[in-house]
Amino acid sequence: MSVVRSWTPGRLASVAVLAAAAAISVFPFVWMVIGTTLNPNDVLRGILAPGRELASNWEKATGMYDLPTFLANSLKIALLTVALGLAVNGLAAFGFEKYPSKARDRVFGVLLLTLIIPQIAIVIPMFRMFAFFKLLNTHAAIVLPSIMSVFIIFFMRQNFKMFPTEIMEAARVDGASELSILLRIVLPSMQATFASAAIYLFLGQWNSYLWPLITILGDEMKTLPIAMASMMSAYTIEYGALMIIVCVSVLPVLLLFLTMQKQFVAGLLGSVK
Amino acid sequence: MEQRGLYQRYLNRFGWLCVAPSVFLFSLFMAYPILSSLYYVTRRWKGMANSFIGLGNFARMARDKVFQAALGHNFLFMAVQIPLMVFLALALAALLNQRIKRFRGPLRLALFLPSVTSLVVVSVLFRVLLQANGFLNNVLIGAGAIREPIGWLNDAAWAKVTIILAMTWRWTGYNMVFFLVGMQSIDPEIYEAAEVDGAPRIRQFFRITIPLLVPVILFSAVTSTSGTMQLLDEPNILTWQGGPANATMTAALYIYRQAFFVNADFGYATALSYVVVLISGLFAYIQMRLLGDNARSAR
Repeated sequence: MSVVRSWTPGRLASVAVLAAAAAISVFPFVWMVIGTTLNPNDVLRGILAPGRELASNWEKATGMYDLPTFLANSLKIALLTVALGLAVNGLAAFGFEKYPSKARDRVFGVLLLTLIIPQIAIVIPMFRMFAFFKLLNTHAAIVLPSIMSVFIIFFMRQNFKMFPTEIMEAARVDGASELSILLRIVLPSMQATFASAAIYLFLGQWNSYLWPLITILGDEMKTLPIAMASMMSAYTIEYGALMIIVCVSVLPVLLLFLTMQKQFVAGLLGSVK
Repeated sequence: MEQRGLYQRYLNRFGWLCVAPSVFLFSLFMAYPILSSLYYVTRRWKGMANSFIGLGNFARMARDKVFQAALGHNFLFMAVQIPLMVFLALALAALLNQRIKRFRGPLRLALFLPSVTSLVVVSVLFRVLLQANGFLNNVLIGAGAIREPIGWLNDAAWAKVTIILAMTWRWTGYNMVFFLVGMQSIDPEIYEAAEVDGAPRIRQFFRITIPLLVPVILFSAVTSTSGTMQLLDEPNILTWQGGPANATMTAALYIYRQAFFVNADFGYATALSYVVVLISGLFAYIQMRLLGDNARSAR
């Protein structure tokens, strides 16, 4: 193997193939950003130079459609899910892993069994349940069922395995309570795990479609995905405004990805190690 | 001795306390829906009223051509899209894994970028790109490649192609990252030994890289299969309610429409969802067996 790298035809070809694939991957992003500055016809026409319609598109996105409300709804729902999900699932993973008992392991086994159940199979009884409690068309209906995640419990439990039990024993000898062991000793050293779980929970809720589609009826309750989907069913579509809303919905995920690539990929890939 | 038993009991109680909130939410939003579906599946809704029909929903399913076709579309998407995506992801990962250090970071970033979009965003973007008077047709006509616009969304065959293209765009980079991580964890000494033996690069790829990656490839096939079995967002938004004329209708979308749109028959929709659960379970079982066999033969 030579240390000096030369541009052999093979390497040139593989970089060319990769560059073409990368261009296809990136193109829709470029197109949607440019689309925010074009008038609706130019979005379709195949123009890839920025236009001058950004301000008027923004006006439509916030006037004709209620982008600030959709964004606020999406943020509120996703952040609530993350906060409650980290607390509930983190606690469960800690309990299952660090307080071993046969009975709890059996409960955990039952939880794991349901991992293969697709969402479509449980939305009907859930819809009837939320109708019964008069909670349809509320944000609670979206947040509550997505707090507990068997997958997150599993993922966090796998990571808790790496935390040495001896340290907990030592803290007990020093008179620390179980709760303070979790909060003061375990939690601070498991930040990466919590970050990955938070990203996973955030993405799942930020992008969720089916359940909000079933439960949300009013415009003022809509999240970004529901708002985008219903824009597509309108007779006339304001493409410029649509592109702004699409950009706004992609931006937080993109920022999350660029700033926390490592945890982001760990959160996506889950427990593959 | 006595005190130690007390302490153990205290720890055990704390353990239950930790898992209690999750178990409560699980009972409410997973166990209860599963159990109550046993009731729904035996009933038939007409308007607001419902009545017992036993296994009648399953008899109806046997005559339901649209649902059978929808299941067929799920299988078609699996059979075409997953191999296509795995092939592309493997090829891109292999190309990235060569000695092109300077470009690897930015290229990997670009290829992974589609994974940050939601399925709704993918569907919206591809619909605007591909509609009859949309971006791609306009560009192709402008370049003289075609005369008439292609019916990406309106033609029964092209609509299926469109779904496959959109899924492939969204998921190839995601799977590529798995494969790349897998390739980079292969011991370089294996390749050096092959190099000494004079094995050409291509041979090394098929004889060393691919066999060592089989567990990762299987894993990505498992997740993709269960994802494709639940396909709903794309046919609902991109090709609009499974159109044209149900050409891209999928099982999950059909269930959703039976329950919340067409005739609000929760009983029939539940029976349909049993079939989807059964098929998903069957696939999961087969794939677990494959993974297990593979782990055993690797030892």
